[in-house]
Amino acid sequence: MNKFIVILLFFCFNIYCQKNTNPKENDSLKAEKLEEVILTATRTERQLSSIPLPVTLISGSTIKKSGSVRIDDILAEQTGLILATDESGFEGIQIQGIDSDYTLILMDGVPLVGRSSGNFDLSRLTVGNIKQIEVVKGPTSSLYGSEALAGVINIITEKPKNEKLTGRASYRIGSFTAQDMNLSLQQKKGKIRYALFGNRFSRDKYVLEPNDSDRSITVNPIENYTLNGKFYYDINNNIKLSASGRYFDQLQNSGFSFTDTDGDGQEIIVNAEGEALERDLNTLLKLDQNWSEKFNTTYEFYYTNYIAEDISRDTETSDIVFNNLFDQKLLRAEIRGNNIIKGMGTITTGVGYQYDFLDRTLFENEVSFNSQYVYTQFDMIPLENLNIIIGVRFDNHSEYSNQVSPKFAFNYKITDQLSIKGSTGYGFKAPDFRQLYLNFTNPSVGYSVLGYKTVPKELQLLFDQGQLAFGDNLTPDQGQARVNELIATFDNDLEAESSIGYNIGLNYRQSKKLILDINFFRNDFRNLIDTFVLARKTNGQNVFSYQNFDEIYTEGIEFSATYNIFENLEISGGYQLLYAFNKDIKKQVENGELFVRDENLTSIVLSKDDHYGFFNRSRHNGNLKVFWDIKKWDLNVNARAIYRSKYGLGDTNGNGTFDTFDDDAVVVDGFATLNIAASKKLFKKFEIQAGADNILNYQNINIPGNPGTRGYVRVNYQF
Amino acid sequence: MKKGFYLLLTFSLIIASCGSDDDSCAESLFFEDADGDGLGNSATSQLACSAPEGFVTNSDDNDDTQALANLISETTNNLPAPQEGGQGQPISGDFTLFDLDTGAITTNTDDWDIAFRATTIIINGGISQGTTDEPSRIGDAAAYIATGTMADITSADTSLFVQDAADALAIPSGSDNGWYNYSGSPLFLITPLPGKILVIKTTEGKYAKIEILSYYKDAPTSPDAFVNEGRYFTFNYVYQPNNNISTF
Repeated sequence: MNKFIVILLFFCFNIYCQKNTNPKENDSLKAEKLEEVILTATRTERQLSSIPLPVTLISGSTIKKSGSVRIDDILAEQTGLILATDESGFEGIQIQGIDSDYTLILMDGVPLVGRSSGNFDLSRLTVGNIKQIEVVKGPTSSLYGSEALAGVINIITEKPKNEKLTGRASYRIGSFTAQDMNLSLQQKKGKIRYALFGNRFSRDKYVLEPNDSDRSITVNPIENYTLNGKFYYDINNNIKLSASGRYFDQLQNSGFSFTDTDGDGQEIIVNAEGEALERDLNTLLKLDQNWSEKFNTTYEFYYTNYIAEDISRDTETSDIVFNNLFDQKLLRAEIRGNNIIKGMGTITTGVGYQYDFLDRTLFENEVSFNSQYVYTQFDMIPLENLNIIIGVRFDNHSEYSNQVSPKFAFNYKITDQLSIKGSTGYGFKAPDFRQLYLNFTNPSVGYSVLGYKTVPKELQLLFDQGQLAFGDNLTPDQGQARVNELIATFDNDLEAESSIGYNIGLNYRQSKKLILDINFFRNDFRNLIDTFVLARKTNGQNVFSYQNFDEIYTEGIEFSATYNIFENLEISGGYQLLYAFNKDIKKQVENGELFVRDENLTSIVLSKDDHYGFFNRSRHNGNLKVFWDIKKWDLNVNARAIYRSKYGLGDTNGNGTFDTFDDDAVVVDGFATLNIAASKKLFKKFEIQAGADNILNYQNINIPGNPGTRGYVRVNYQF
Repeated sequence: MKKGFYLLLTFSLIIASCGSDDDSCAESLFFEDADGDGLGNSATSQLACSAPEGFVTNSDDNDDTQALANLISETTNNLPAPQEGGQGQPISGDFTLFDLDTGAITTNTDDWDIAFRATTIIINGGISQGTTDEPSRIGDAAAYIATGTMADITSADTSLFVQDAADALAIPSGSDNGWYNYSGSPLFLITPLPGKILVIKTTEGKYAKIEILSYYKDAPTSPDAFVNEGRYFTFNYVYQPNNNISTF
C-alpha cells in the first residue's frame, strides 16, 4: 500500500511537471483524424492502420447495413470473433480461442459488469446508438487491468455534433414477432450538447426441435428497454464536462417442471413459472481538460449496478420454488493524462481506485473488493517508420496477489504499403466473487462448494457438525488435525489467472482498394482456477473448493482480406486457424498416457490424430462478405456467410478432453450461416430495409440462441 | 531323458570351450522347466549362450513337477450395486460383495475381496469409514489404481498397495478422483475413466486386475442416464490363481 502511495505521488508530480511543457501544433495528428480512428488500443486516438496491435473496427454503417439488432449479432460476423454457446446454453464471444470470461467489455471506455457463468451476454446491448465497436485482441491488462486477457471489446456510442436538432426513429419487425424500436435525438446548443436514445426490443417464444418431446427446448419470450442520455457542457475551449447515463431493463418469462416427492413419498411433477429480471445502470461523469496542445487530462467517475433476479413459483400452490438474486455494483474513479513530447511520442499515465460489491443468494454475506491501480504507457516513434509502445500497469488488490502487467508492441513500415507488427503482453483475470466467496450446498444432491476464502470457517463448521467423513476410527483430535491440515493449504492467496500473449503479423494496404492482414498468435495461460474435491461428506457427496491448476495454450493464424472490385463493391473474407490445448492433457496424449474406450468398452490408448483438444473450439472459422452500394438507386445489398467447423461441448468418455470417441450428443458438426440484407433510401428521409438471417435455416439443439431463419423489415426515418 | 541332457551339457561345454575366443557369446545360467510353466527349478541348471530347450532364466519354481494354473480371464456382467438414500438423504444399503477367488458374488461378510454400492467401491482390507451398512474389513485385501490398458498392466506393483482408510478409500470416491467421471448437467452420466485398472490383492493373497467397463445395465456403448438403468457394474478381470505370483 505504501508503495502505491509513492507511485501515486510520483504520478502527481509527473502531471505537474508536464503542465509546463510548451504548446505546439501537431499537424500529423490532425490529418490522422480524417481516417478511421481507434481509441481502445492506446487510450489515445490512433489511426487504425498504424496500430501495432491486432485490432478490429466495426463501423456504425456496417452495423446498420447488416441489419443487426443486438451487439452479439454483428460481433459474430467478424473474423476471429466466435459467438460460442457453452454446455449450459450461455453465449459469449471467444477471441483467439479464449472464453468470453477473459474478455473485458467496455462501453465508452468503462467496464460493463454482470456475467452468467463467466459469460457476458452481449445480447443485452442494443446497436441502436452505436458509433463503432473497437476490438483489441491479445492481452491488454497493461491498460485495462483484470479480465483483459483475450482482449477488449469497446462499444463506442454516438456523440452529438450537429447544431440542428436531429433525430432518428426506426421500427423493425421480424420472425417470432421480434420487434425493435429506436428513437434518438441530438442537438448542440452553444456550450451544451446532448443526445437522447431509447430502444425497446421484444420477441415471442420459440421452440427448438418441436417434434422431439424429449429434447425440445422452449426459449421464452423476452422484452427489454434501453435508455441512454448524454450531456456535454463545454465550460470553455479547453475544459469539457460530460455526464452520461444508461439504463437497461429486461423481463423474460421462465417456466419449467421437475419431479419431486410429496408428503406421502409419491412422485409428483411440479410445474413452476416465473420471471427473470435484469437491470443494468451505468453512470459516467467525465471532465476533459486540455492544458495545452501537448498535454491533456481526463477525470472520470463511474458507477454501475447490475441486478439479475430469477423467481419461480409453483403454479398450483404459488410457493416459491426457485429464487436467485445477483446484485453487483462497481464504483471507479480514474485520472489519466496524455503528454505529447515533440519528436518522441506520447506518454499516457493513469491512476485509479475501484470498489466492487456483490450480493448474491448463494453467498452468506455481501462481499466487496477494493483495488487501486496505476498505469503508464510510452507510445514513441524512435525512427520515421518505427512505432514502439511500452506500457506497464500495477494493480493492488485487497483479495488476491498484486499484479504487474507489462506490454511491448511495435509497428515497422517496410514500405508505404507493407508493415510488420508485433506485440507481447501480460494479461490477468482476478479470481471472481464466486471462486472466493461461494458457500453453496446443493439441496437435492447434497454436495457443497466452498469459495477459497470461505474454506477455513466453513470446513471447520462442517467438521463440527459431523458432516465430514473422516471415518469412525479417527478420534476427534485426529479429525481436527486433518481439518487443520486442509485449511492450512488455503493460507496463501489464490493467484489470479494469467496469460502471456504473443502476436506477430503483416499488414498490406493498397489505399482502400486492397487490404490484407495476417497475424500469428499464441497465448500461454497459467494458474487457471478450477474446482477440486476438498473433503468427503458423510452423505457420500463431496466438498469442492477452488485452486489454481491448469496450464493451457491457444495458438493459431488469423487472415483477413478486403478487396474493392470497383468503388462500391467490396468483397471481404476472413479465416482463423486455431489450436487450443490443455498442456498436461496434450503431454499425456503424446506419451500415450491418455485413454479412450473402443466399441467393446475396453480401454485403448488415445492417438494424437483422434485428439481435438479443448472443448468448444473449432479448428477452422471463416467468413465471406459482399457489400454492394448501388448509388444511382440509393440501394445497398449485402450477403454475409459465416462458417464454424466441428467442435465438442464436453467429454462423454471420462478422459477430460474432446476426442473422436466422444458421444455425438456433445458434438456440434461444422455449420454455415448465411445472412442477407438490402436497404434503400426513399424521399431523402426514409430508409427501408429487408433481410433474412440464417437463410440456410441451420439449427442445433446445443445452440438455443439460434431459432433458425428469421426474416425482417425495417423502416427508418431521419429528421 | 536325463542322460540326453548330460550329453547335451557335455557337448555344449565342448563347444563353449572351443569357442572361448568367440567374444559374441556371453554365457548365463539356465534352469530346467520340466512342467513347462515358465518357472525353472533352481536345483537343475546349466550355462549356455541362449536358453536350451526346456530351460528358462527363472528359478522360482518350488514344484517343477506340476505346471501353474492358467490365468483366469472373466467378464462379470450387470453386477447390481444398489443404494438407498443419496440425493441429500443419508446413504445406506448393503454393498454387493464379490469374491475374486471364486469369481462370484457372495453374502459371506468375512470372505470377500471387493464390494460395490452405487459409485462407492471398497475392499476387504483396512478400516471401515463407518457409513450405514458398510461392512467391517475382516480380510487383508489391498488395492491401487494403475494407469494403462488392461494389456499394459502385466504385474502388480506390491509397493503401491493401500487399504481402505478412515479418510480415503483405496479406490477413491468422487468424480475424476478414482475410477469414474460424473459429467453433471446436461447428461448426468457416470463414465468409468478409460485407462484406469484396479489392481487387487485378494484376501487369499492372490493378485488380480479389473477394468470397469460400464455403470449401466447391459453395458450400452452410448449410455443415456435417463434411459439406461445405473448401478450395474460390468467389468473384465484377470485373476492370478497361483501363490506368490504377481504377474497376470
